[in-house]
Amino acid sequence: MKKLKRVATYLFLSIAALVSIFPFLWMLVSMTNKSVDVTAGRLLPGTHLFENLKVLFGQVDIASAMWNSTIIAVITTFLTLLIGSLAGYGFEIYRTRGKDMIFNILLLSMMIPFAAIMIPLYRLFGRISGTAPFIGIDTLAAALLPTVITAFFIFFFRQNTKMFAKELVEAGRIDGLSELGIFFRIYVPTMKTTYAAAAIIAFMNSWNNYLWPLVVLQSPEKLTIPLLISNLGAGYSPDYGVIMTAIVIATLPTALVFFFMQKHFVAGMMGSVKG
Amino acid sequence: MSELTKSTNVQSSLNKKTFVQRFKKNYIGWLFIALSVVGIGLFYFYPMVQAFLLSLKSGMGANLEFVGLENYARLFNDPTFISALTNTIIYLLVQVPIMIVLALFFSVLLNDATLKFKGFFRTAIFLPCVTSLVAYAVIFKYLFGVDGLVNKLLLNLHLISEPLNWLSDPVLAKITIIAAITWRWTGYNMIFYLSALQNVDKQMYEAARIDGASAIQQFFYITVPMLKPIILFTSIISTIGTLQLFDEVMNITAGGPGNATLSISMYIYNLSFEYTPDFGYAATVSYVIVILVVILSMIQFRVAGDKR
Amino acid sequence: MKKLWFLAITVLSILFLAACGGEESGTSGDNGSGSGDAGSGDETTTIKAWAWDPNFNIAALNIAEEQYDGDVELEIVENAQDDIVQKLNTGLSSGTMKGMPNIVLIEDQRAQSFLQAYPDAFFPIDEYFNKDDFAAYKLEPTSLDGVQFGLPFDTGVTGLFYRTDYLEEAGYTHDDLVNITWERYVEIGKDVKAKTGHDFISLDPNDLGILRVMMQTAGAWYVEGDGTTVNLVDNEPLKQAMENYKAIMEADLVKANSDWSQFLAAFNSGDVATVPVGNWIAASIEAEESQAGKWAVAPTPRLDIDGAKNASNQGGSSWYVLNVDGKEKAAEFLGQTFGSSTPFYEQLVTEVGAIGTYKPASESDAYATPNEYFGGQAIVQDFSEWMADVPPVNMGLHTYAIEDIISAEMQNYLKGKPLEDVLADAQAQAESQLR
Repeated sequence: MKKLKRVATYLFLSIAALVSIFPFLWMLVSMTNKSVDVTAGRLLPGTHLFENLKVLFGQVDIASAMWNSTIIAVITTFLTLLIGSLAGYGFEIYRTRGKDMIFNILLLSMMIPFAAIMIPLYRLFGRISGTAPFIGIDTLAAALLPTVITAFFIFFFRQNTKMFAKELVEAGRIDGLSELGIFFRIYVPTMKTTYAAAAIIAFMNSWNNYLWPLVVLQSPEKLTIPLLISNLGAGYSPDYGVIMTAIVIATLPTALVFFFMQKHFVAGMMGSVKG
Repeated sequence: MSELTKSTNVQSSLNKKTFVQRFKKNYIGWLFIALSVVGIGLFYFYPMVQAFLLSLKSGMGANLEFVGLENYARLFNDPTFISALTNTIIYLLVQVPIMIVLALFFSVLLNDATLKFKGFFRTAIFLPCVTSLVAYAVIFKYLFGVDGLVNKLLLNLHLISEPLNWLSDPVLAKITIIAAITWRWTGYNMIFYLSALQNVDKQMYEAARIDGASAIQQFFYITVPMLKPIILFTSIISTIGTLQLFDEVMNITAGGPGNATLSISMYIYNLSFEYTPDFGYAATVSYVIVILVVILSMIQFRVAGDKR
Repeated sequence: MKKLWFLAITVLSILFLAACGGEESGTSGDNGSGSGDAGSGDETTTIKAWAWDPNFNIAALNIAEEQYDGDVELEIVENAQDDIVQKLNTGLSSGTMKGMPNIVLIEDQRAQSFLQAYPDAFFPIDEYFNKDDFAAYKLEPTSLDGVQFGLPFDTGVTGLFYRTDYLEEAGYTHDDLVNITWERYVEIGKDVKAKTGHDFISLDPNDLGILRVMMQTAGAWYVEGDGTTVNLVDNEPLKQAMENYKAIMEADLVKANSDWSQFLAAFNSGDVATVPVGNWIAASIEAEESQAGKWAVAPTPRLDIDGAKNASNQGGSSWYVLNVDGKEKAAEFLGQTFGSSTPFYEQLVTEVGAIGTYKPASESDAYATPNEYFGGQAIVQDFSEWMADVPPVNMGLHTYAIEDIISAEMQNYLKGKPLEDVLADAQAQAESQLR
């Protein structure tokens, strides 16, 4: 009975995994094919990989786009985690009626479609450019600033803090730690898996962010990966082999970040800390 | 059970705090949230207020004039908006529950310490939400094409007798979109559960096992109640995500056939960029989303019994 | 720990100051005639251009820069067309011209929207080239109230690309396809399908571009000549176009596609016999080398209406100069290359395969070169002859908005709703939606 359940679990997971990665496998095959073969739906590997790579690294500067996206994503992830967890912790641990109200208001900011606030936000950055050009239009700072302070991560950290053993805070105070000391010495290490999950999501959001970088970044040398892929698909005769190759290359960093971060999701490790 | 008494203890000890201590704590609490409050105020609320003012205006591009609530009245006589709204609500009601349950199920399966290849399974299921939409849309359209793999599979299993027009039939196109969203975002929701499961006290499961509770009982009496804050979180963000659904519709069906798969966000995009731009009316439609999410989130908070 | 708080508060105040402080200097720039980039004032020789498609438009810009002897350095920013539309709308409507380019490429069907929505944003370029040198149909979308804002670029003149081997097998020659109507096209299609088993055309049910191709042969559009009055219910060309569309669908001649890549695959794989679209598809047809010599191009079928021409247009874009610093230099650059240079268009057609709408260029030898892939047919020359015949239309502002309404009603029409009702309903909806 138990063995049967095991087999069923593996079978189910294998099917789910196959369904999930099938399009990705298709892309892997397609990156070795010519455009006409890709559009014909060819599922066999070809010999065009080198030519596709040559276009990407020669005619198109994918290396610099990867670099830009990486810089933006790493900084964004770090700041998002710091700012989001500070606030999520603050709202839950120092909970008051007033803060709850502010929290609810902050949640509102998640609800408006970005397209609706994009133009006013652009105008705001246009004004900022006047006094502080280093965070104005066409800077990497402008591309990441509105994405590092988000209600999403405050909400996420707050909900997870609800599961955090609050007596640890009291214990920290008795040990004479400052409030910020409790946060960094006790909360952060205890909530490692929450940070791991947040890091995955923040990195991915930043890596795939499209609309805002598109609008705010102007110089060709500041192009990010999603914009580059969008450019490849433009025009009367797009090269699908090159597009697929670019997408495989673009997908790998986030997949790797996930693979390494998910190792922190080890069942039942935290139970001992509470006891 | 022990968890509950613990938290009430904390609660009562908090009440005993002196006024000064409370004031000091309160003040420090504000410091924790200050940067976020200012940042969100500047980068989100200021533009949101501007967008609201815009929703009271109408006109082409830069030639806007004040029309008061006329845009809001226009919504009710706009058949395109009404189909977008209906479609979006259908997506919401069908898709979000399926995805949440599926993600919860995967995360419990993949949280098993004795499971082999968990890293692979987790990464595989997460992969769809990382993959660029450009390629994924191209491939999806091949899969759901008239002579695509999905039809071939269904024909071979004798579930259908002739190929289905997945992308040009109004109902089937909606199903395709729902399948696409579920495929793409289940792994994403799984992460939140997987990480939260690590914060659940393992001893509770051991105690339950000693008491003879089955896996299903453990799931419903320990996992679900313990994960409640996160389930609330994921259902709210999925609600928001679905109400703002854009990418899948834009790339797979472009709203067609007719307006059968059009979503509200796609309509906002069309009003702003595809047609002659009317940013005022687009802002009005955006505020419909805000109102809907507020209502739905309030219901979800209430259902989850999150104390104020 | 104290330090951290200090840091946080400093960051906060910088942000705040930057946002508020910028207010004053920003507002003055808002109404100014374009602040341009800092530094572009003293270094006016750098011209920024936004365009898409490195194998086509951007390649053309590069040739132009190479041939231009003025003192100009071109900085080309490549973005997909939809991306440019978003960036341009966001920038222009926010009122800050900061970061906007000097030159931008806009699709003809969208041009009127931009010109009318942002009246002061574009720079008139009448003086920089002679507009009578260009195909007549290109001038309507690129000008507003008699003032020329766009420099016409590529032609979307259509042709009937067809597989000579399939048509031959069914007993048809090139002459059987010349100067035919769409009704005849459908008849031939049925015959070819019956005799060879090949589908005749590939269509995306969500894209009604072919309706526009049909309508324009009779000089009609979704709107009247003023560009704003919705004209659906009494629009005879549109009626015929929709009837033809339904006939094609019902005769089972169509290989459906739902995507550009599937559209390309439909003819690259040899599944369909004809491709009646803009000339720019030639490069994608030629991509399948194994079919060399098996393709030819006939003129576009016309509607069965007096005065209809066997010529139409699909796509095509033009260059616009924005009202920012360096506009005169930018206009000069365009005027002397795209606007008046036959050698430029010769190089363009030989190196890039792009056909411009500059009429004097069509007499050049480069245009008469036979194309071996198309069995030695001088397709460029044929296209430029047809280009002169394309009936001009005023596409106005609402092409895409109206087409979405038609597309919803088309579903009903295909299911059997009478055409009169379909058009009446579409007309009513369009009138209420577009004011």
